[in-house]
Amino acid sequence: MASLAAVALYAATAGGVLAIAGESIAAGGAVVLAAGIALRTPFVVPWSVALAGAGYVVARERHAVADGWAPLVGAALLLAAELAAWSIAHDRRIDEERAVVLRQAATVAAVVLGAAFVGFVLVGAAGISSSPGALPIVLGAAAAVAAVGLVGKLLRQ
Amino acid sequence: MIRRASPKLVAYANLSAVGLLTALVLGRPELVALAAPFLVALGAGLVLASPPRFSAELSADERVVEGDLIEARLAVAAATSVARLDVYLRVPEGLEAGGEQGTARAISLRRGETRDLDFELTARLWGAHALGPLYLRARDPLGLVSWEGMLARTPSVRVYPKEDTLRRIVHPRDTQVFSGSEVARRKGEGIEFADVRPWTSGDAVKRVNWRATARRGELWVNESHPERNTDVILFVDSFADARQAGAGTLDLAVRATAALADAYIHRRDRVGLVSFGGILRWLLPGMGTVQLYRIIDALLDTEVILSYYWTEIDVLPRRTLPPNALVVALSPLLDRRFVGALLDLRARGVDLAVVDISPLPFTTRPAGGLDAVAYDIWTLRRDALRHRLQQAGVAVAEWREDAPLQAVLEEVRSFRRYARAAHV
Repeated sequence: MASLAAVALYAATAGGVLAIAGESIAAGGAVVLAAGIALRTPFVVPWSVALAGAGYVVARERHAVADGWAPLVGAALLLAAELAAWSIAHDRRIDEERAVVLRQAATVAAVVLGAAFVGFVLVGAAGISSSPGALPIVLGAAAAVAAVGLVGKLLRQ
Repeated sequence: MIRRASPKLVAYANLSAVGLLTALVLGRPELVALAAPFLVALGAGLVLASPPRFSAELSADERVVEGDLIEARLAVAAATSVARLDVYLRVPEGLEAGGEQGTARAISLRRGETRDLDFELTARLWGAHALGPLYLRARDPLGLVSWEGMLARTPSVRVYPKEDTLRRIVHPRDTQVFSGSEVARRKGEGIEFADVRPWTSGDAVKRVNWRATARRGELWVNESHPERNTDVILFVDSFADARQAGAGTLDLAVRATAALADAYIHRRDRVGLVSFGGILRWLLPGMGTVQLYRIIDALLDTEVILSYYWTEIDVLPRRTLPPNALVVALSPLLDRRFVGALLDLRARGVDLAVVDISPLPFTTRPAGGLDAVAYDIWTLRRDALRHRLQQAGVAVAEWREDAPLQAVLEEVRSFRRYARAAHV
């Protein structure tokens, strides 16, 4: 939740009227997440993350240049989603070994850091390939479709 | 094991797809940076989510007595690494989970690792309890996919009823032919002095009563009572059970039967068991420790099965009720079929004693109105029924949960002694 709140605060720093609207939307996401954790309803988590992400995008609407800190925002959203899912799935009646908790924490940390790294690479690549034209758009679309297709294939396994 | 996708997996897939497509539509690279972490998490999680391979075997103490601790152990051997394995052992009714850890655990296993998980259970109620089912759920490191299964084979625990130690029991009217601990009424070779009689040819010299011989001027010998065994049939009513808050009359009946069987077996008597109810079960009379275990094992399977079939005593095989056997019935006297069977047995001249396991502690008298009147009538009818049995010459004693069984047996003994005196 703190992670989403940080995203909302960061959206507010973008400046302008839309920044306030974006901050509100992101803050709404944080509230939804809090409610989801309190009520132990996992289906609320993606909606809260989507709201926070939408708030950030709305806040950045008037900015022509890509935000260099966007990967950290993405990593923060992932961290919020992971911790919320962990919190909802946690059952006090289950006696968890310390090794299980440590292993899960390490895995979440590694994934969040790895995701942030990949995000920085992507944003960096977007900044370098600034040449306008149809080719970058086609390549981007192909990459997006390929990524989604790869995930779909893994899901079917 | 059944493979299941977690809600997180669906959520991440949707967030990634929506983020990337929105980025393409709006032409905003930030959206790719927002969606990429979820895509990375999804890809990494699915690559790491290989089906786990492990074996699990549950073992437990086979036989315990009520109140004892049961040690159940789950041995898990992992052929592949398992990031998280959730184990849940469902505890059957009659057993209770003990210890701080409970019966739900989450462990992590490395490749080739073996682990023993100990579960502490307490046997609360007699019976044959099948442990489990034992549920297993393995998850990948990111919790995107889980594999769920159930252990097919789980052990059973036989919880024997806690027996009262009986110092004195109800003695049968007649004895049998084998040697035992009961002093027979007839005269023969034994220890207990019975009478003196004139010497006849063939009497051993050691039996000569010299004092009587000197007084009478001819040889007189001692006669004695032989020690014989007896046949005892424990007749358990499994037609009805008055039950409240996890305890009932059948539990008391089983405990009392076990205690009586133990006491009679230790006297080298032949003991048989008849469970007379919806399902008729019997055990032919026998003696020795093996028979005791047979009886207790049979008792563990005793349960009340609802039946409207009018069962009579004729359905019993002839050998289950040997001649001159003492029949000790244990019943709450709730079912007319059992009462009818008791009267039928008495009419056939069977030596019968009844322990009336009172259902009153397991019932609550209504506060008032017609229900309270009906309750009072019911209790009066129970008294009348006991009186009717006593008029038929059957020793009946009411047993309540808080009273020791020995006291009830003493009541039965005194009634039988009184009835015998009156008969003479």
